[in-house]
Amino acid sequence: MPPHILLVEDNALVVGALRLLLEETGHRVSDASNVADAARAMRTDPPDLVLLDLTLGADDGLALFALVNPPLPVVVALTGHDDPETRERCLAAGCRDVRVKPIRSRELKSQIAAWLGVRTPA
Amino acid sequence: MTRAYVDDLSVERLAALQEQNLELSRLVAELRNEAALRTQFLSNISHDLRTPLTAIITHGEILRDGILGELTGRQRESVSGIIGGGRQLLDMIGEILTYARGAANQLTLSRSDFTVEAVLEQVCTLNESLVAKKGHALSVTVEPEIPPLYGDREKIVHVLGNLLGNAIDFTAPGGKVWIRASRGAPTERGHVVLIEVGDSGIGIAPEHHELVFREFAQVDATASRQHHGTGLGLAIARKFVELHDGRLWVESTLGGGSRFYFTIPVRSAS
Repeated sequence: MPPHILLVEDNALVVGALRLLLEETGHRVSDASNVADAARAMRTDPPDLVLLDLTLGADDGLALFALVNPPLPVVVALTGHDDPETRERCLAAGCRDVRVKPIRSRELKSQIAAWLGVRTPA
Repeated sequence: MTRAYVDDLSVERLAALQEQNLELSRLVAELRNEAALRTQFLSNISHDLRTPLTAIITHGEILRDGILGELTGRQRESVSGIIGGGRQLLDMIGEILTYARGAANQLTLSRSDFTVEAVLEQVCTLNESLVAKKGHALSVTVEPEIPPLYGDREKIVHVLGNLLGNAIDFTAPGGKVWIRASRGAPTERGHVVLIEVGDSGIGIAPEHHELVFREFAQVDATASRQHHGTGLGLAIARKFVELHDGRLWVESTLGGGSRFYFTIPVRSAS
């Protein structure tokens, strides 16, 4: 079974780019553009990893943590904000890691393997 | 003049002064608020610009890395150009945001002890390929037993990277670029390390020495067209050095190369 990744991102162009990259490197991908849809998706089809944007229209991406019950999959923030305050806010909320967009495609591939604790898919 | 008249006058004047004070406090608060709003605006813009750039760069990398099939050398070159342009734009967006934070006094230092050698190595490694590409000779000299620096390592790396980048850019191929670190003359605040970044490049006329540190300043429009940038690099570098209570200045003549110097405090022996 390929690892399942949930993309929580409200920009269709970014979803398109990341979906293509992740699917072509051996992952199954679903996406949600707001936290309510993301919480629903996590209940109906639990992912192994959530890549979470922070600015989702009017939603704060970190509000997702209040909507889902543990045990949670690994959640990593992918954000356009590169200030230390944002980083701290994400880690305090429960994110495993914080990456500033755009993350290099090679780095994303190897990081996903590390976050999931598996070898890089061929 | 009667006593009562004088008292009346001072009461009036006091009331007027109090009124003026209030008005000034209101103005100060308003200006602070405006600066904060401007920073917030730039922060939002920079976030919004990064989002579509993410899509452009990610698609470029998918193609370049052969994820959708191998490319020919020329195809890879072209796609690498798209990625390079996108990354350059990202750096510029980052610079504008840093400048806005500096202007609003929202930059803070996260200080630690580290050696000059460590930051020099980091900066030289980052610029290795640029130096090789231009065929420059880069030399690095560190005075023996120089004390460790005490400052924000990331910001000092940024300053050094900016100065070295300029030295590489503004020197014709096959030139000399050097970095020297030594003990500086102690200031009233304590001991400092003096870092010099020099080059044998085009140099800067003395009347432009202060201009280069001003935001959005490019001394020579023809030169600046070949050297990308926001025109904020040196303004940011000076801000970073001044946050450390250090100084950043230049010594140069037109055609005679440039030497940029900055000081960074070392932790006082206690």
